[in-house]
Amino acid sequence: MPVPEEEECCPILSLLTDDLLTRIHSHLPDPTHRKSFRLVCQAFHQVDLLARTHLRPLRPDFLPTLIARFSSLQSLDLSVCPRLDDSLAAAISAAISAHRRRLKVLGLSRATGLTPLGLKTLVSGCAPYLEAVDASYWCQRFGDREALALSFAAGLKELRLDKSLAVTDVGLARIAVGCPCLERLSLKWCLEITELGVDLLAKKCLQLKFLDISSLKVTSSSLSSIAMLPKLESLIMVGCVSVDDAGLLSLSNGCPSLKEVDMSRCDGITSAGLCSLIKGHPDLLQLNASHCMVALTFALLDALKNLKFLNVFRVDGARVCHSTFQTINTNRWSLVELGLSKCIGLGDFGITWLITGCANLKVLNLSCCDSVTDAAIAAIAGSCIKLRSLKLESCGSITEESLELLSSSCFLLEELDLTDCCGVNDMALSYLSRCTELKFLKLGLCNNISDKGLIYIALKCSKICELDLYCCPDVGDDGMAVLSIGCNRLKKLNVSYCSSFTDKGMEYIGRLEELCELEMRGLMNVTGAGLQAIAAGCKRLTELDLKHCGNIQDSGFWALACYSKNMRQINLSCCAISDVGLWMIMSNLSCLQDAKLVHLPNVSVGGFEVALRACSLQLKKVKLVVSLKFSLSHEVLQLLWSRGCKVRWD
Amino acid sequence: MPQEFQGSFLLLKSAPHMNADDALCLEICYEMLDFRQFMTEKLQDPSRMDYSMRTDPNNQAKITNQGENQILNNGRVQSWDPKTMLNNLSFLEQKIHRLQELVHMIIGQKDQVSSNQDEVFTQQQQLITADLTSIIVQLISTAGCLLPSVNPSPLQLNGVLFPPATSSGTGMMPQNNDGQAQQNISDVKSFEQSNQVDLTANSVTEINCNSMEEDHELKDDDEGKEEHLPPGSYEILQLEKEEILAPHTHFCTICGKGFKRDANLRMHMRGHGDEYKTPAALAKPNKESSSEKVLLKRYSCPFVGCKRNKDHKKFQPLKTILCVKNHYKRTHCDKSYICSRCHTKKFSVMADLKTHEKHCGRDKWLCSCGTTFSRKDKLFGHITLFQGHTPAIPLEDNKATLGPSNPTENNEATNKTADVGFNFGSNSVNVNGIENLMDVKGDVEDPYLSLLNYECSLSGLQDFPPANYDDTSSSFSFLISGEKNAV
Repeated sequence: MPVPEEEECCPILSLLTDDLLTRIHSHLPDPTHRKSFRLVCQAFHQVDLLARTHLRPLRPDFLPTLIARFSSLQSLDLSVCPRLDDSLAAAISAAISAHRRRLKVLGLSRATGLTPLGLKTLVSGCAPYLEAVDASYWCQRFGDREALALSFAAGLKELRLDKSLAVTDVGLARIAVGCPCLERLSLKWCLEITELGVDLLAKKCLQLKFLDISSLKVTSSSLSSIAMLPKLESLIMVGCVSVDDAGLLSLSNGCPSLKEVDMSRCDGITSAGLCSLIKGHPDLLQLNASHCMVALTFALLDALKNLKFLNVFRVDGARVCHSTFQTINTNRWSLVELGLSKCIGLGDFGITWLITGCANLKVLNLSCCDSVTDAAIAAIAGSCIKLRSLKLESCGSITEESLELLSSSCFLLEELDLTDCCGVNDMALSYLSRCTELKFLKLGLCNNISDKGLIYIALKCSKICELDLYCCPDVGDDGMAVLSIGCNRLKKLNVSYCSSFTDKGMEYIGRLEELCELEMRGLMNVTGAGLQAIAAGCKRLTELDLKHCGNIQDSGFWALACYSKNMRQINLSCCAISDVGLWMIMSNLSCLQDAKLVHLPNVSVGGFEVALRACSLQLKKVKLVVSLKFSLSHEVLQLLWSRGCKVRWD
Repeated sequence: MPQEFQGSFLLLKSAPHMNADDALCLEICYEMLDFRQFMTEKLQDPSRMDYSMRTDPNNQAKITNQGENQILNNGRVQSWDPKTMLNNLSFLEQKIHRLQELVHMIIGQKDQVSSNQDEVFTQQQQLITADLTSIIVQLISTAGCLLPSVNPSPLQLNGVLFPPATSSGTGMMPQNNDGQAQQNISDVKSFEQSNQVDLTANSVTEINCNSMEEDHELKDDDEGKEEHLPPGSYEILQLEKEEILAPHTHFCTICGKGFKRDANLRMHMRGHGDEYKTPAALAKPNKESSSEKVLLKRYSCPFVGCKRNKDHKKFQPLKTILCVKNHYKRTHCDKSYICSRCHTKKFSVMADLKTHEKHCGRDKWLCSCGTTFSRKDKLFGHITLFQGHTPAIPLEDNKATLGPSNPTENNEATNKTADVGFNFGSNSVNVNGIENLMDVKGDVEDPYLSLLNYECSLSGLQDFPPANYDDTSSSFSFLISGEKNAV
């Protein structure tokens, strides 16, 4: 009797029940691992189908079918799906209702191809279960009608409307009345919304826990109505310039469960207001007072002592008085994150004083504190051994000694920003390589590092996934060679203006299979062959910046058009691309959303016309030279506009 | 002044680096503190509280009204929140203490000579200045709450009238404006002197009569506001109907030509000879310098039975000739000026028509229940008040129709509310439901219609032009049927 073939070749499957497989599947956080998982065999694939709750399609073609197959689908992100329009929305909506999928989360960021009608179809298709919608970055395309369409999702709990430039108080009022259960709402950069809308929101949506009103033209009187929100935990109001201490005072008397306040760039706020807020809310967890008129005064530091649970405290750009620190001796904070960038007058003494009490500190930002020297770093290395992230951008006075100290005590360091620290040299990098947990390293504008230094890094720091080598003239092909072997998990790389790079170096970059973002501006020694190598190797590339790479021939662009199907953003400004090359790229890269096409000397007006027509279905944003505004035909511009594409004229 | 304040202030004054500005600020603080004390005492003593008593010559009325007045006083006391006040004051106290500590510290440091002493010194000075400024601002705003400015419209109790509010400091934290605060101080001082009964005269910003009173076309802001002079404290003048309706009020004594403005007449007179060209002849006729001794002039309307007529039981005099003219035209004349846009609104004063035409047809804010509003904040107040009401969004074209649409009903609803009147009588910025109710009632007969061309003080409102409602009849959808009569 013939044994079933499957059991014979996969005996392990007989041991693994579906339950077990599902549990294994749930321990795979990385999407790439899940992809490998579902490619094993049919049974694994079946488990993946059952367990998968989130879908982020890159192509629209089989979307209704996919919805039919993923039975437990809860979240659908259409933000990178090209060609999303009303008809597709109707098809998705029909599929969702036909298969009774309980879609809770809908990602529609930058989905500007939708009209209010399409949006309404989509929203009402998943209406009774829909809890979260992200409709940010629609710019002028999101107005009151779109808000009206969204307001039909009565059970909405989370809504992001960032940069909805056309929505007014009327639209907000529709949402506030239509979705009374809202818990999280972001109105960042909704510049048309005024105090009236915010006041109404505060009266209608009493469940709000998170509110972002950054850059709105609201004043302190709005804060007093926001203070009436009984459940508010986070208030983000970056850049609300009309808000002043009076607003903070009213906030301190309201919002009993407030945990997080971000008042950065509110020019009207001073230390006094901050003190009153602190006094009213001793349980605050996060406080961001960057770039206000805040000074680190005696009173403020004294008040901060009372915040027992404060985790995150950012006072970037604050004025610091040296004598303040002399007056207070003891200091114990539970801080995890401290931001002190651009603090005026903050020297080694101040940093040492602030740091000594923070044994749990994980994130520290000292960017642009130009008086920081090795002494301060020594203090940091001495007291903050749990440090994960350290930003030292433009701290010109630190030397390799600092890095030696840091690497000898802060073994957990994951992120280090050394941009524009000219004291960093190859020796420093050799010390730094002791921090083997490093994931993000920025070495831009460090003129004194060379390939030799990168070798140290490449040999030890294999976890690096983001590396910035902007404008390091001595870094070249050899360094890249070792990096491509040692740091093969790189996802983001910047080699702009590293003028010694040639096609050889590009070949090495091509070996970085996981690379997603590559910035390689101004590499004049790179030709078509180099770009070919990158395109063929880095299949996951989604962002590419080729500005000022003047010597790349069309062969490179053809390769790009052929291989880089995932490309979403491209900058081809000042490249020698021809009409045909541009047309190839624009018509073949079906996921392309953002293209910068300024100063292309070899492209004619006709070439632009054809290329723009070819990509008009998926393109969301394009930058063109202003002279084209008058030479391009009206139909092309109309076509782009009608699909929700924003044209930026340079 | 409480002892602790006094102490810290003396200490601050004696601080060596105090400059002139700081000293001035401190003076203001002193005044504010004095004022605070004064107000506290006054609030404790009800007899000092009711200014209105003095306005009433009738003692009996005073007695009968006592109870009511006390209720009213309580209401007044309630309107500034003592808790908030206490919070503010203790906040202030703490701040001053901190400042005190800081100054102490500075004095302590004086002894130690350091190399960068100058720099440290200036930094300290900046710190102190900043702290002081915030203290002062806080003080002023705290004091602002205390000003007797509660009711936006005058209250009337059997002829006893409370003066209308003028200060904008009704909120907990008004504008941080030193100038305003000083204004408030002067107001309060006049209260203190309070032999003068005419409270409104101190507070109401009067129109400059010299430049405007002769102009028929200009509008008077005073007619809507009540002033409460005891009978006999002013002289009553009554113009005849013909005099009121005459196009010109100033006539040339030589050629007889008429002018609306006195100034125009003086300009005209120059043509009649050199004697009219002297600076004295061209100068504005002076007001009597000893104005206190001369009785105030008030005007009566010649129309018998009118409340503004001196024979009326509850006579309320008119303040200026301009008031008389506008009142007479508005109330007792035909409305001959018709709005060229809506062809429904009629006015008897040209200026009223012009004001109306500025807004006619433009500011139509529509609620889903069909009610229209002239102002966006009124609409939002309405929406806040009524559950389920939302602002209606006009649709550009019919193919984009999203909701249930019923054009005929829309028509009806729109027409029904076409004559919604305006009520500008209140200077309250807060949107509250009651005001909206008044608005919705469509108080067309309001004689003060568009009298006070009161702009909403929420700045930036003008920046948001409402959507184009040209195709009113068919374009609105989302009108919830059956809710038309909800208001």
